[in-house]
Amino acid sequence: MMDRFHYRPDREAYSAARVKALEALLIRKGVITDRTVDTVLDFFETKMGPFNGAKIVARAWVDPAFKDRLVADTPKAIAELQLPEGMAGAEGEHMRAVANAPDVHNLIICTLCSCYPWPVLGLPPYWYKDPTFRSRAAREPRAVLTEFGLAVPDAVEIKVWDSSAQIRWFVVPERPAGTDGLSETELEALVTPEAMMGVAVARAA
Amino acid sequence: MKLQHYLGGLEGLGPVSTETRVFVEVWETRIFGIHTAMMALSPQLPLPETPSTFKTIWTWADLRKGAESLNPFDYFRFRYYEKWLGGISGYFIDNGYITAEELDALTEEYYSEPAKPLPDAGDEAIDQRVVQYLVEGDSPKRDVAVTFEFKVGDMVAIRNVPTIEHTRLPGFLRNKFGTIETVYDGAYTYLCDTGPDGVGAAMPVYCVRFEPSDLWPDNAEKNFSLYADLYAHYVEAPEAAEASKAA
Repeated sequence: MMDRFHYRPDREAYSAARVKALEALLIRKGVITDRTVDTVLDFFETKMGPFNGAKIVARAWVDPAFKDRLVADTPKAIAELQLPEGMAGAEGEHMRAVANAPDVHNLIICTLCSCYPWPVLGLPPYWYKDPTFRSRAAREPRAVLTEFGLAVPDAVEIKVWDSSAQIRWFVVPERPAGTDGLSETELEALVTPEAMMGVAVARAA
Repeated sequence: MKLQHYLGGLEGLGPVSTETRVFVEVWETRIFGIHTAMMALSPQLPLPETPSTFKTIWTWADLRKGAESLNPFDYFRFRYYEKWLGGISGYFIDNGYITAEELDALTEEYYSEPAKPLPDAGDEAIDQRVVQYLVEGDSPKRDVAVTFEFKVGDMVAIRNVPTIEHTRLPGFLRNKFGTIETVYDGAYTYLCDTGPDGVGAAMPVYCVRFEPSDLWPDNAEKNFSLYADLYAHYVEAPEAAEASKAA
């Protein structure tokens, strides 16, 4: 897609200079402070990120009753865990978890923009924001998933959830085989944002 | 009629990106931080006043409208955060916070001297409000009574509402039929009034299930279902759809 269009040869250097100029002007004009942008970025290092989602999924794997509660009332179940402040905050006010099963694979998309469950997964990866993904996944999810290296058998139903209103969706992937002895912390390490949005499954290390 | 409202199901687009990074350039983190701060400082929120000079409304709706107003080819041409940078720069110019000339001039300066520092300034109350916004969020749910026209299992028709600038109706669902999968509890606003498109005020939201072979006859994969969360204004009884066609 990118080769079709003309770009200035200093594309990134120009954008870097322009955003720095914008930030400088906004600081100078009193819109923000010199710490504002870093404050935002720090929040996504420590409070909102995939580290939360990994804990939620690992708990769902070791505790099937928690998993049921997570799907039935996602915010209430999340509140049971000791997670950072903000789990019902920005872009997490109305989250909803859907669980994969041997006969069902879930995939989350946003055909209109890039709605994403910030508190449990942080910020969306490039693939999720790609207009090609957003478009194709609505009509040919299986083909799109093969491009991610995931072959979903024809007999498995795929459910595609388009985030077009207040809900921020995420997927509870299935616990991979070969993980019986693992601690919850070890299980957390197996959970990826891709598995929690449906373009991957969780795999044993 | 904006292509950006009708992305679902397009053919011929080529391979998807499988890039797992959130940001591919450091500069992208800065425009993300600026957008988030603008949302946090936007005056309609019930958050403490700060010394910030930001006094105009900015929500996700404004960011989206900026991207949706682009030439559709530019929408594909520019990366995600390039679109943000264009839209947000334009907003600050259009609303009189900065001028195009001073932005261009300072861009030149940072281009020639990338390590030139940012100014040193600002009241920490501004940053405290930004954190509070992230922690508390901005729920669209409202404590108002609404009537629910539909229940789980009902078949519904998707309206072809007159959309001009902005919508939360994925275009590929217009005039199609689906089944109610969930009736969300309560009533939900949208971040702006979409005018003739019809959302903004608090109303029910339904999760509606669609059969892809209805959306793209003979041109969709098998054994999958597509769900979309739709504001009540976008949904009507099939008999009502028939009646308005006959009219």
